[in-house]
Amino acid sequence: MSGPESPAGPVDLKSQMARAAASLHDAPAPKASAATSDLSIDETLLLHSIDWEPVELVFGAAVVSVPGGVWNWGDGEIVQASDAHAKAIEVASLHMDRQCAHVHGWGVVGVSVDVAIHSHHIDVRLLGTAVRPTRPKPTEKRQFDNRGGFISDLSARDFVLLRQAGWAPVGLTFGTSFVYAPRRSAGTVLQQKGQNVELANLTTAMYSARESAMERLQASALSLGGQGVVAVRVWEGPVSFAAHAIQFSAVGTAVRLEADAHQYCQPQVVLPLDDSVVQFDATSLRH
Amino acid sequence: MSSVPSDIPAESEGRLSAPSFSSGLTVPDFAACLQMGLEPVGLVQGYCVMKWSFYGAGSPYMRGMGAYQYNTQQGAYSESYQCPHGYVGGEHISWGQNFEQTMVEAAWTQGFTSAYSRLLEEATEAGGHGVIGLVDTVRSLTDQAVVEFHLLGTAVVVSDAPGPPDGRPWTTYLAGQRLAKLVEAGFMPVSIAASMASVQVWPYCMTEYYLRGQGGTYRWSPQYATSEIEQLSRAQMAVCRLAREHVRAQLGTDTLYGATFAASDYESSGGPVLEATLRGNRVRRFKAFDRLDPPRPTVRLT
Repeated sequence: MSGPESPAGPVDLKSQMARAAASLHDAPAPKASAATSDLSIDETLLLHSIDWEPVELVFGAAVVSVPGGVWNWGDGEIVQASDAHAKAIEVASLHMDRQCAHVHGWGVVGVSVDVAIHSHHIDVRLLGTAVRPTRPKPTEKRQFDNRGGFISDLSARDFVLLRQAGWAPVGLTFGTSFVYAPRRSAGTVLQQKGQNVELANLTTAMYSARESAMERLQASALSLGGQGVVAVRVWEGPVSFAAHAIQFSAVGTAVRLEADAHQYCQPQVVLPLDDSVVQFDATSLRH
Repeated sequence: MSSVPSDIPAESEGRLSAPSFSSGLTVPDFAACLQMGLEPVGLVQGYCVMKWSFYGAGSPYMRGMGAYQYNTQQGAYSESYQCPHGYVGGEHISWGQNFEQTMVEAAWTQGFTSAYSRLLEEATEAGGHGVIGLVDTVRSLTDQAVVEFHLLGTAVVVSDAPGPPDGRPWTTYLAGQRLAKLVEAGFMPVSIAASMASVQVWPYCMTEYYLRGQGGTYRWSPQYATSEIEQLSRAQMAVCRLAREHVRAQLGTDTLYGATFAASDYESSGGPVLEATLRGNRVRRFKAFDRLDPPRPTVRLT
């Protein structure tokens, strides 16, 4: 924020609005620098409350090939597809990191992760807002110099809360695995015909994919220097164009404790008095 | 803005000058705006339907014998790719190119700007100082080459304030409490900002091989490794960068908040086409503002 102007008491919105509208007659400040951001005004204010500011909308994209034939029937993990996925995330993150550094950001928050899986290529697109502290403390500066920028899919609200608790995001972590669900033998198919049974081949494939993906997520967090991963989202299921291939993906933000100890945020308990009005339902008379 | 149709129909003029108002605001937004001294004067709209007609035979975008040079000469984005194989055969795709489709972007900008100008014209006619709660829709009509631009918002007058400096109303996608918070935070909406970027990819042999699952330098050689498809990656990056640059060019020294980014792609006869749009609120700081105290977390007892 550009300077103190402490409003005394409640803000008179009417006069503020009139003042704002009149300001359009003034020439814009010549030294102001333009910023772009997909954060809402609430999120921007939240960032300002901890002395951070949005700098620029940044993105990263990568398209990585998947060799032909890998989606055919097989056994075990579909290594090339898993590799392609990991590589696409890595390259897109690298592009985003570079852009963030280019605009002098210290990290990127609110990153949206868009992954499209095609039979011969995997596309990844990341989009978020680069942010930086307005008045960095020497300790923060040292930590940034040592660690570099971060990418996080946490919202600005979660980022603020995390920092208040003494933690810091260190990077986006991803783990993905594609596994073949093996065919049932002819004998098994006949035995299971007309029965309600578990399809163990699919369950096993799911567990196998899950285990590999979560291991990768964990390894990725450790390699970034994280102590854990928060806000992990998972999605799993058959690949749209190859139903015998099971995908399991997990994405989250690796975090590290930067304060001496976790700071309890002490939430205040509130009792909302705006319960919804119970309305008369005319259709209830029909019964 | 194009000249047809440029006038507000006579019926609209009558309606807009009537001593009652219409508004697209929700009731909570309406109440919040009155609290801020914003008086709605009319629901205003702008339309424009554009036809994209430069594809096909004779267009400058037809893939010829060599890379398309026009863009490079105009300073637009363009990158060429050369085959690493040497002479293979007459049908071998020995070159490829990514290039910015400036004519598509210009057509989109013309459509959007025309609809926007018509909305402003209605707002001015209604005596509005600004337009709030703007909703803009861009959709295909009948087929992909015909696009409708539709903008809708509520023209408002600011109590006890002069009209806009050049008579051109200010605009914003925000309304109600969100707008109140913006003003309270020290920002005044200047206008909406929107841009579109389009990049055509003409794949060269390597990209083609990868897209067919025949990765590797030679399509007949077995390749099991994955590889970045550089031409497509760079096109994806370029389309995002261009959309941002186009919006930045509209900002001056102002700031863009609450931006929304949308990307899409489709297959043309020449190869993939990547498109991206970026929209947001151009705002200007009008006062210094004390930062908020760190927010206090709460838990609801419900």
